[in-house]
Amino acid sequence: MTGHVKFTRRGLGKSALAGATLLGAPLPLRHAFAQAPANLKVALLLPTSGLQAQIGQACRRGADVANQVFTDMKMPVQLDIVNYDTETKPDVARTQAEKAIDAGANVLVGAFDSGQTIAIAQVTEQRGVPLIVNIAAAPQITEQGYKFVVRNFPTAPMLITGALALHKDVFKASGTTPKTAVLMSVNDTFGTAMMNGIKALFPKLDMPYEIVETISYDAAAKDLSVEVGKAKATKAELLLPVCRLNDGKLLVQEMVKQRWEPMGVMNPGAPGLYEQDFLKTMGKYGDFLISNVPWLDPKTAMTQTLERRHAAKFPGDQLDVNGGFTFEAMLIAAQAWLAAKSTKADALMDALRKTRIDQHVMVGGPIEFDAKGQNVNIKAAAVENLKRKPTVVMPLDSAAAPLVFPMPGWTDKRRT
Amino acid sequence: MTFARRLVGNAAPRTVWLLAALLALLLIAPAILGKYWLSVLILILYFAYVGQAWNILMGFAGQLSLGHALYAGLGGYVAAGLFFHYGIGPWAGVFAAVAAAALAGTIVGYLGFRFSLAGVYFALLTIAFSEFTRLAFDHWEWAGGAGGLFLKVDGGSDIVNLRGGSLLFYYVILALAAFAFILCRALLESRLGRYWLAIREDAEAAQAVGVPVLRCKMIAIVISAALTALAGVWNAFYYNNLFPETAFAMGRSIEITLAPIIGGLGTLFGPVVGAVVLTGLGEAFTDLGEALGMPGIKQIFYGLALLVIVMYRPAGVWPWLAGKLGLGELRK
Repeated sequence: MTGHVKFTRRGLGKSALAGATLLGAPLPLRHAFAQAPANLKVALLLPTSGLQAQIGQACRRGADVANQVFTDMKMPVQLDIVNYDTETKPDVARTQAEKAIDAGANVLVGAFDSGQTIAIAQVTEQRGVPLIVNIAAAPQITEQGYKFVVRNFPTAPMLITGALALHKDVFKASGTTPKTAVLMSVNDTFGTAMMNGIKALFPKLDMPYEIVETISYDAAAKDLSVEVGKAKATKAELLLPVCRLNDGKLLVQEMVKQRWEPMGVMNPGAPGLYEQDFLKTMGKYGDFLISNVPWLDPKTAMTQTLERRHAAKFPGDQLDVNGGFTFEAMLIAAQAWLAAKSTKADALMDALRKTRIDQHVMVGGPIEFDAKGQNVNIKAAAVENLKRKPTVVMPLDSAAAPLVFPMPGWTDKRRT
Repeated sequence: MTFARRLVGNAAPRTVWLLAALLALLLIAPAILGKYWLSVLILILYFAYVGQAWNILMGFAGQLSLGHALYAGLGGYVAAGLFFHYGIGPWAGVFAAVAAAALAGTIVGYLGFRFSLAGVYFALLTIAFSEFTRLAFDHWEWAGGAGGLFLKVDGGSDIVNLRGGSLLFYYVILALAAFAFILCRALLESRLGRYWLAIREDAEAAQAVGVPVLRCKMIAIVISAALTALAGVWNAFYYNNLFPETAFAMGRSIEITLAPIIGGLGTLFGPVVGAVVLTGLGEAFTDLGEALGMPGIKQIFYGLALLVIVMYRPAGVWPWLAGKLGLGELRK
């Protein structure tokens, strides 16, 4: 064998023809050609464009470093992760799920939003392919009796119950308990559902404060001066904002402008306050706000590895709850594959049902699923913005810094 | 003259044969296509159907509605709610769904047409109705409120309750699309259809020669709303979940209008061709975005493609295509 490559006119012609065929093949087919290796094929379906693009991309970053983290953690597993964009639409999510399965995906992961997730779940159920839900809070997802769905994310009532329970822990740890609170909520699907959930669960949780006023505002509001003025007038000691990113900014800006300094701002299970863009925009005024949400446990070795890999690959982006849960979905898929030693759907699903992962990244107990496919061991964390970084302050086992409560005033020297 | 002959009317024989071949192909398509392509075909047929329904109001009668999601959402919610709360199957619930949407269409139409709201003013009225219905459903617990209404999925096949896989929904939406096509053809060939065209071209002149303009417009909006409600019922049972934020969204209304606009307003084949072009382009650009690892690039190319089509084929793709194929259907 000489190692020389012979170029003949006929050979070159054949190569050109093969190349042209590959290039000219319809893109979905080409996609299928690219799916040949022996690793577990995981289709990651996320809204990486459209209204939820920012969050979808944050989720995706968690999956993008999964294989590196597995290697660092000496896990003998690598996944072939193929990304599919749901465009923030349930109909596209459904079509993409069909495409992923046609392209040979062994497991599907997704899809951040409940509507899109349910659209995908119907496909996976009909085609007998496991679906690992990374993020989606509608309780119905695990109440439908699906045989091929597991969810590693709390349901909406779990989110609220966990968040409100943490309030008591925060007050106990700080020795300061507010007596009154005002609930402010954006009136979109999520906000309304949260607000109704809080109203329903609040009386059962024996909370130490009374909600003296509930104020909702439009998701497209450009000015919250009236709402904040109304909230300030109640003289409530605690603000519970159910907000998203942009209204969260408006809310805090207005609080600073109106010099309303309640004892604390504690988000009862909503996004907004911990998000990277919020922290960048709000600067020192973003500090000392608390979000009670599921979060990464900074004390585990796997979280530290994930944070290191994430920071190296995406230096400008913060690792958050979205990336954390999506990474965990990959971890669950990998562990199921290791246990099943097969890419067959039934074997994988059987392994998923028996999952028990003690070492993972989010706060809470081991990852395991109940008969409905729901992980009930996820716990909320109190995440306080400290020095422009969301930092776990409760539970104490996972705390990376001491809690600061009551919140320092807007002009306090601790805000630098 | 038989109904079939009236339907065929003066259409070229080649057109009729092509239609028959297309229908035959669509009937056997599930046996040929994979599940993914079947789901794409379902989307095409859905957009062709709702486009056809919208085209009655805008393409035939010349009344611009940008709030058709109202009727689809109402239809979906009524049928899904009856099934969810009382176990009333969609084949029965569809009558209530259509009635609710027709009533909504009557109210919107009467307010708009009786008080001579036309063009963008009528469009604004339709948007307003769609928006406040969304807000109402956000707070209506019977309909699940903002948290959504979810239908039970059991994985089995049950035609009576419209529960089943893609194949069942494919044939239902195919039947609906074929029905809408035939209905629109029949309407266009009727006196009412001629009245609509007269109103679309010049309402005042039509009124002057004795066309009952208000009544004709009302019939157009009621038929259009009722047909759109059917699509809403299908949509609710296909996806098994409804959220006010998406069911009544402005974006949903715009999606409904795109296929007939791109395909050719006021034509029978326009919504069908538009749906094929739009869904095809959408899938191609999705693949491109995935191949390049650039999510979101689809929207840019999709927008550019629509811009090019609207600039170079302002009457839509179908009139141009029909000319090229020698099928000769122009905008009525």
